Amino acid sequence: SGMFSFVTKKTISEKDIDDILFELEMSLLESDVAMEVAEKIINSVKEDLVGRKIRRRSDVAEFTRDALKKAISEILGVETKDLKEMADKAQKSGEPLKIMFVGINGTGKTTTIAKVATYFINEGYTPVIAAADTFRAGAIEQITHHADNIGVKIIKHKKGADPAAVAYDAVEHAKAKGKEIVLIDTAGRMQTNVNLMDEMKKIKRVVKPDLIIYVGDSLTGNDAVEQASKFDEAVGVDGIVLTKADADAKGGAALSIGYVINKPILFLGVGQSYEDIMEFKPEWMVDQLV
Amino acid sequence: MLGNLGKNLTKTMKKLAGMPIIDEEVVKEVVKDIQRALIQSDVNIKLVFKLSKTIEERALKEEPPKGITPREYIITIVYEELVNLVGSKAEEVEVNAKPYRIMFVGLQGSGKTTTIGKLTRYLQKKGFRPAIVSTDTWRPAAYEQLRQLTESMDVPLYGDPENKDALDLAKKGIEQFKKNDIVIIDTAGRHKEEQDLLNEMEQLSAIVNPNEVMLVIDGTIGQQAREQALAFNKATDVGSIVITKLDGSAKGGGALSAVSEIGAPIKFIGTGERIDDFEAFDPERFISRLLGMGDIKTLLEKA
Ligand SMILES: Nc1nc2c(ncn2[C@@H]2O[C@H](COP(=O)(O)OP(=O)(O)OP(=O)(O)O)[C@@H](O)[C@H]2O)c(=O)[nH]1
Ligand SMILES: Nc1nc2c(ncn2[C@@H]2O[C@H](COP(=O)(O)OP(=O)(O)OP(=O)(O)O)[C@@H](O)[C@H]2O)c(=O)[nH]1
Ligand SMILES: [Mg+2]
Ligand SMILES: [Mg+2]
Repeated sequence: SGMFSFVTKKTISEKDIDDILFELEMSLLESDVAMEVAEKIINSVKEDLVGRKIRRRSDVAEFTRDALKKAISEILGVETKDLKEMADKAQKSGEPLKIMFVGINGTGKTTTIAKVATYFINEGYTPVIAAADTFRAGAIEQITHHADNIGVKIIKHKKGADPAAVAYDAVEHAKAKGKEIVLIDTAGRMQTNVNLMDEMKKIKRVVKPDLIIYVGDSLTGNDAVEQASKFDEAVGVDGIVLTKADADAKGGAALSIGYVINKPILFLGVGQSYEDIMEFKPEWMVDQLV
Repeated sequence: MLGNLGKNLTKTMKKLAGMPIIDEEVVKEVVKDIQRALIQSDVNIKLVFKLSKTIEERALKEEPPKGITPREYIITIVYEELVNLVGSKAEEVEVNAKPYRIMFVGLQGSGKTTTIGKLTRYLQKKGFRPAIVSTDTWRPAAYEQLRQLTESMDVPLYGDPENKDALDLAKKGIEQFKKNDIVIIDTAGRHKEEQDLLNEMEQLSAIVNPNEVMLVIDGTIGQQAREQALAFNKATDVGSIVITKLDGSAKGGGALSAVSEIGAPIKFIGTGERIDDFEAFDPERFISRLLGMGDIKTLLEKA
């Protein structure tokens, strides 16, 4: 080692990055990334960096920030699904594409279905909606209004009816009328409610959806981890929609849910109107978080 | 994985149990565990650091009373500081005007309409005759939802799905129920970035002239709770808080942060979707849950 070695080489030690990592962890937590997930991410960044050689001490902070960006991009960068492609494929096989929406109470499932239906209509498809929330007061009327507003056929039974039967009928309707997509609304339920989680499994068994979409509220805090993992365990989630992103949420819940389910975030809900839906861009969220 | 924090805390507390005096290192360790528990319960990060600083200072400065172990004393301090925020007992709805007007506000999907059904039943059981006005012109079937929620309860309900003017609905509803004991007003969900809707809420408030504005906070909300609550409190004076969805696994720390910011008491919690899943707020239980400690009460009784 010559006299200029300090210029060309320095090994990053834990001590070098402790402060900046703490700072970054706090900012993740303030953005509503669940603590469990924030810690895992920070640890992986630490492992990635400690022992690496750098040129200048002043590079450490930037290096760390970049490593964190990379870690987050990996979580959010799961290969996404092309819904239109799926619909075309299903149609060729003579079956409609069946999409079921699940999530805890009040996250925005019903509204999101109206938005996704609008999205499909704009793309030239004809969806049908199943009013399979037969439990909550006013649920059938709510989705019926939405369906009427956007001009989509709704299949419904009476309040209290078997949700699986409603969903089944909607699929039969789509087959008979040659409609390409069935969107199934389900009642909100707490992940801790065993009976309701079982009821949801039954709907899945009966209709065998091609896609189960988990609708999460972007204002959710640490519980996002528990909610998402219980729904995923129960029915197996294929994609995520994050609602109420217009409420100035920093989007940490996206990371918590994405981390737990390891499936793509398909859309963001950004308002209460039918057009208020955006395809999710991981880069956008990474910039928001770091 | 998630339950571990509560366990960690209990473990540290046990460690403390054997110690005759509180030394600084131990206090720091306990405070760190408390911080983690509070952050995981969604308490606002800045509030967590403020709280833990106070707890640390008190634990080091104050002399535990005779017969109380250091461990028990730290728990007492933590408990006292949290009770300082939420109050030591549930406050009632004091019906001191006629009609007593309660206006519900809150974020989209937080549970306003469902909670109105629950509060109505609760007040009926106390012998009052509440009436309800629906002013939610945004959400499809908002009126129908209220109607179905209350159809078994024999409660007068005013609303008109054809009328898209919330202010007009409020005016007519208030006029119609002049002779009732209590009038409860449902409003559409909104958030702090929707300035038009916040303005509408301010105008609604001017018409209704509420005796009490109840802010409904979703128990699963995270760090956004504080900012959102501030925006609501700015548009109308929030008088009390209801925390919903505590039948899940969330701890309600977001709501706690809102309370600390706007100073309104938590009066009720929602513990399910059904009309009777509704309880008066119990600070002790709420704080035990927040800290992830099963039974703070027996510990406190010993202290
Ligand atoms: N600001 C905003 N509001 C939304 C968004 N998505 C849904 N909402 C609102 O959130 C509230 C609840 O939406 P719903 O679609 O009824 O939610 P849900 O998950 O079907 O509710 P349950 O069926 O009762 O579990 C409504 O007032 C919607 O207008 C969004 O992206 N942004
Ligand atoms: N599990 C559970 N669900 C609840 C609770 N309170 C309300 N809900 C559910 O949360 C969802 C939303 O409730 P609403 O009463 O429609 O909420 P809101 O605030 O009136 O919604 P908007 O009018 O759209 O803003 C519904 O599915 C309710 O059944 C509760 O304490 N526990
Ligand atoms: Mg719904
Ligand atoms: Mg409502």
